[in-house]
Amino acid sequence: MEILLFGVINSVTLSLTALGFTLVYGISRLPNFAHGALYVTSGYIVWLCVNTLGLNYVLGIVVGIVATAIIGALMYRLIILRIRGMQISEIIATYAIGLAIIEGLRWGGLRGSTFTLPSFLAGSFEIGGIAVDYQRLFVLGSGVVVFAALGLFVKYTKTGLALKAIAQDERAAMMLGIDSDRKALVSFALGSGLSAFAAVLILPLGSIVVETGYNVLIYSIAVSIIGGLGSWGGAIVASFIIGFAQILTEVFLSTQYQMVISLLAIIVTLLLKPSGIFGKQKELDDRV
Amino acid sequence: MRKGFGKTVWTVPFLVLCVGLFSGVAAAAEPPIVIGAPLATAFLYGWDAERGIKLAVEEINAAGGVNVGGKKRPFAVEVIDTRDLEPGVPVSEALLGVEKLILEKKADFIVGGPVRSEAALAAMDLLSKYKKVSILTTGVLTPAYHKKVEANYDKYKYCFRISSHVGVMANEFIAFLGEIKKGHGFNKVYIMVQDVEHARKGGEVMKKMLTDKGWEVSDMKVYPTGTTDFSVGLRDAAQKKADILFLWMDMPESSILLKQWSNMKLKALPMGFVNAAEQPGFWKATKGEGEYLIVNLVNGGNAPAKITPWTMKFAKAYEKRWGLEPEGYGTSSSYMAVYTLKEAIEKAGTIDSGAVVTALENVNLMGVYGKISFDKKSHQVIPSLDPAEGAVTSIIQWQKGKRVQVFPPKTAEGKTLLPPWMK
Repeated sequence: MEILLFGVINSVTLSLTALGFTLVYGISRLPNFAHGALYVTSGYIVWLCVNTLGLNYVLGIVVGIVATAIIGALMYRLIILRIRGMQISEIIATYAIGLAIIEGLRWGGLRGSTFTLPSFLAGSFEIGGIAVDYQRLFVLGSGVVVFAALGLFVKYTKTGLALKAIAQDERAAMMLGIDSDRKALVSFALGSGLSAFAAVLILPLGSIVVETGYNVLIYSIAVSIIGGLGSWGGAIVASFIIGFAQILTEVFLSTQYQMVISLLAIIVTLLLKPSGIFGKQKELDDRV
Repeated sequence: MRKGFGKTVWTVPFLVLCVGLFSGVAAAAEPPIVIGAPLATAFLYGWDAERGIKLAVEEINAAGGVNVGGKKRPFAVEVIDTRDLEPGVPVSEALLGVEKLILEKKADFIVGGPVRSEAALAAMDLLSKYKKVSILTTGVLTPAYHKKVEANYDKYKYCFRISSHVGVMANEFIAFLGEIKKGHGFNKVYIMVQDVEHARKGGEVMKKMLTDKGWEVSDMKVYPTGTTDFSVGLRDAAQKKADILFLWMDMPESSILLKQWSNMKLKALPMGFVNAAEQPGFWKATKGEGEYLIVNLVNGGNAPAKITPWTMKFAKAYEKRWGLEPEGYGTSSSYMAVYTLKEAIEKAGTIDSGAVVTALENVNLMGVYGKISFDKKSHQVIPSLDPAEGAVTSIIQWQKGKRVQVFPPKTAEGKTLLPPWMK
């Protein structure tokens, strides 16, 4: 019961943090290495709204998510668009933007562990004798809602269908009149907004610290590689693999090997299936 | 034409007079003694040390400066960000910082860091090479630092440490836990440490010492830096009926652990070395969920307490200058290092390294956290549980939003309290 409960919570938390990264790559084939930085930025924006501007918490959250989505869109429009198609440049540019944001926040005063967001619901309750805090249950519930909403968005809205079309075959989508650049911009905004959504759910569990940005990026990349770059379903499956592997490691081995297990999972996946579990990239035989 | 000529006639002597006056003043003023401070300024142990050093320098300069062989010289501070607490930053960065302070900024003395043990140990060779006296004040908790001085005195005699280390802290914890055992009949300890060198060592030392003292250590969990969920470990501690939750962590995520502990109402009293809980802002950050946590602040004076007559004077001056109470490990020791250096320079009558080393070895100063004197062989500040005998620690408990000193007994201002669900 303990393994099941904490495994599910851990997995949903992981998939929430990685969803924005996977979505952007899945649609626009752009690796957003500034994903972790945007995650921290959104938390800091909400903190500023609540503590400096004195806004209502819910309003602060809305401002944080919208502002982060706008930052993502601006990032694409002003920088990424100019280098689109040059993969190494895309990686370097997004990573540099992420570094600049993180170091800028640090320089601007986001230091120490006293920047916190309040929990939506304080306290905990017991399931089968196991105490779980309400905020984690909120993360769990919100994660399920987001996955469902995203699925419906992609399946039933015009923009969602256009994004799906580009993800499947960009050239064919363009021939049908879908503006690839415009949709990539939407995907960047949506991905950034999702990272902000994950942040406002998860950050109340601890503090807003800049180093979190690096951890979020590492786990997002790990989840994406194992699941198959750009595959949303793959990202969710990979999150469950890593999430449960971490909990099993903690229960049966030792907590200190959690990161080792995650990295081992990447290596094993790459050995067995280089494109990831649900990856659609060409296998080695096709590429050579 | 005539008007312009007149202006020139008056301007030239005026300029000559000004230059003469300023050069006269410059000749009269003594050059400052430059303190180089290599610190990880983005982290608590860096920025609070910087504030401590600057406060002491400002006070000393305002009082006339340092008497060096009859001439009053001011202190000047050059701070460099070593970034040595940031993940992925190599030790060489910190070493470059130290070398830059010595060669470019012409630092006469080094006070403060480097902050991470690995960087500080590596910097000892640089200090030896340039014969620069250094007083380590923050971050580094490894006993290897002073043992290295003791093992090769001639080479590393320039290195002093005015703050505590793991060995001393473990003894303090054992003595404190002895009091708790006596008072409440507790016997089981569950250890949770971070997966970094000083924390693992601290946990291992504690495990061994606790077992030797008759405590039952239920388990020791090592958590990777950045862990955000401690539920499994806390539940395990509950199942094993631990009385004490002993922590050794410097990651900010340890505040999550305390929130979970509070939410679960775990019947184990949390205590240890918890960086996130040192700062005055911890209470607000955890919305009071960290109440009852007991933290070792390494040196007295890192939270307001009446340890010596100087302690509260320092705490008030710090609050007046920086707008908040002394923040945590590195604050009082960095402040005291500057005063100790002043004392040594004045006794030596020179800033010559050899003479200052000898003077520091013979320093005997009643400071913010007790008597400051160094072991002559290892250059480690001499610790004690009595401020009249040596440098004392500050073990505090968070009680109603305040950091209340609960150990050592001679400096305690309150009793250790148990959370209501443990009574």
